[in-house]
Amino acid sequence: METKNTEIADLIMNGSRQITSSRRAALALGGAALAGLALARPRRAFAQTTIGDPDILNFALNLEYLEAQYYTLATQGVTIDTLGIGITGGNGAPGGTVTVKPGPIVPFVTPLLQDFAVELAAEERIHVTFLRSALGTAAVAMPNIDLLNSFNALASAAGLGSTFDPFASELNFLLGAFIFEDVGVTAYHGAAGLISNPAYLTAATGIMGTEAYHSGSVRTRIYAAGTAAQQAATAIANTRSKLDGTGNDDIGVGTLSTGAATIVDADSNAIAFSRTTTQVLSIVYGGGSGGGAFYPNGLNGTIK
Amino acid sequence: MKIEERLRSRLSRRNFLACLGVTAGTAAVATMAAGCGSTPVTTTTPSTPPSGSSDEDILNFALNLEYLEAEFYLRAVTGSGLSSSNIGTNPGAVTGGSQVTFTNPAVQAYALEIANDELLHVEFLRSTLGSAAVDRPAIDLTNSFNAAAMAAGIGPAFNPFADENSFIVGAFVFEDVGVTAYHGAASLILNKTYLGAAAGIMATEAYHAGEIRTLLNGLGAPYVTYANQISMLRAMLGGGNETPVTTESCVAEDNNCASFSRTTSEVLHIVYAAGAGVVSKGGFFPNGMNGTITSTVS
Repeated sequence: METKNTEIADLIMNGSRQITSSRRAALALGGAALAGLALARPRRAFAQTTIGDPDILNFALNLEYLEAQYYTLATQGVTIDTLGIGITGGNGAPGGTVTVKPGPIVPFVTPLLQDFAVELAAEERIHVTFLRSALGTAAVAMPNIDLLNSFNALASAAGLGSTFDPFASELNFLLGAFIFEDVGVTAYHGAAGLISNPAYLTAATGIMGTEAYHSGSVRTRIYAAGTAAQQAATAIANTRSKLDGTGNDDIGVGTLSTGAATIVDADSNAIAFSRTTTQVLSIVYGGGSGGGAFYPNGLNGTIK
Repeated sequence: MKIEERLRSRLSRRNFLACLGVTAGTAAVATMAAGCGSTPVTTTTPSTPPSGSSDEDILNFALNLEYLEAEFYLRAVTGSGLSSSNIGTNPGAVTGGSQVTFTNPAVQAYALEIANDELLHVEFLRSTLGSAAVDRPAIDLTNSFNAAAMAAGIGPAFNPFADENSFIVGAFVFEDVGVTAYHGAASLILNKTYLGAAAGIMATEAYHAGEIRTLLNGLGAPYVTYANQISMLRAMLGGGNETPVTTESCVAEDNNCASFSRTTSEVLHIVYAAGAGVVSKGGFFPNGMNGTITSTVS
């Protein structure tokens, strides 16, 4: 059985690395604008002996703070602490600040999309509350978050122009959501293999499921929005793939030569991608080290 | 109304709607009465492993579900199902299923993707399991949907291959369940590599489910109504763990906003269309699943 398991493990590992299949290759490698960029980024594996479940959950909490602030500002124009969501550390450490343009409420014109935005905001706030509750006094405070310069820098890197305001229109809001949701899936997917406590594992897997529902819905709406939206999303996906140092673990939104859509961000086995914490950090830091982009001063906690 | 109040209102409505399931069939009344107490029924709990189940048993359980999904989607988009190389040496027969006439190119593109994803899941699990992979069991895509429609209160018959909107409702029957099944399996699997793969397939199913629920919201009545009647039926059969489709609930999840989990027994109750007792076949699997996890616990 042990031998069998090892064989299967090899098979899974090798299989999941075969990203450039006929199914996904077209879009994964389609970012001509990015093709010439150097992709090599050193990746470090965290020694699991020094990382405990609270470290992993705090890593997730940092990401949830970001998502909750983005959606809450987009729908209500206020930060989550004004709605009674805690942003201070469980040990009393003060929470950080959010940099955002004045009046960030998105001018929604489609009621279905506005309802969805309200849902996203509420659910990401509950993720914050849930993780803070699970961590208790170990919960980290919200780090400084930038929702202004970050999007501009990412847009520039993706070839979408020198500025990008995700609050300017409902389509821009969707693209902003697109930036986060797939990354959330890969972060929780990667975390699932690191968590020891079965109850935490079930919770983290369930939150991953919710993020994937979100992603599926966001990507379906982007697909329906037409070619320009699909191309923007694909440029963002290619940029994420470049930033995390792999160059081939992110699929944009579009249509393959087979006629199939690419709503799911998955590998050649139709298994959703996974990222290490280091890869996730590279994306949310915009390629920076120790901080940058969405977290100008870095995450709080031990994984940063 | 404040946003948090709206959410609470939505969550309460979930429980309320789940409780409405008593109208869908007398056999289910006792089940739902037990589930509709003063406390919400939407808390996800870790699965209890069937005694003696190995990782291979659990992956084979998943393979049975993937056979079902692959046959449904492949027949819908191509008119034919899995090839002989993907069903084992002694496969069961497939009843029903025919090519859907798509009129919206986007829906056809979505269907083609999901069909290919489920095909890849079959191939991945069969390859991973090697000689331990179970054959395709007998699958029913005709009487199963008719019986589900009757039990859900939709009507005496339902053909998910009749047109593209019916196809979307048919897809809804499967996708949320797939998420809960893999979520439950993830807590049973010991090998970390298998766990990573199962979690990744679960996420793919959740992408599909979020997509299908979004399309249903776009369609509106009567398709959302049909879907929610199906959802109530699944709740009755499979231990609750359902969120009705509304414009503010594109996710099926618990009160912590974690997607639901089901035990293998709860999943079997749904796909066998049997709400109580020890059952080992029925519904989509007229001769039962293949492998070692084939019967409900109670």
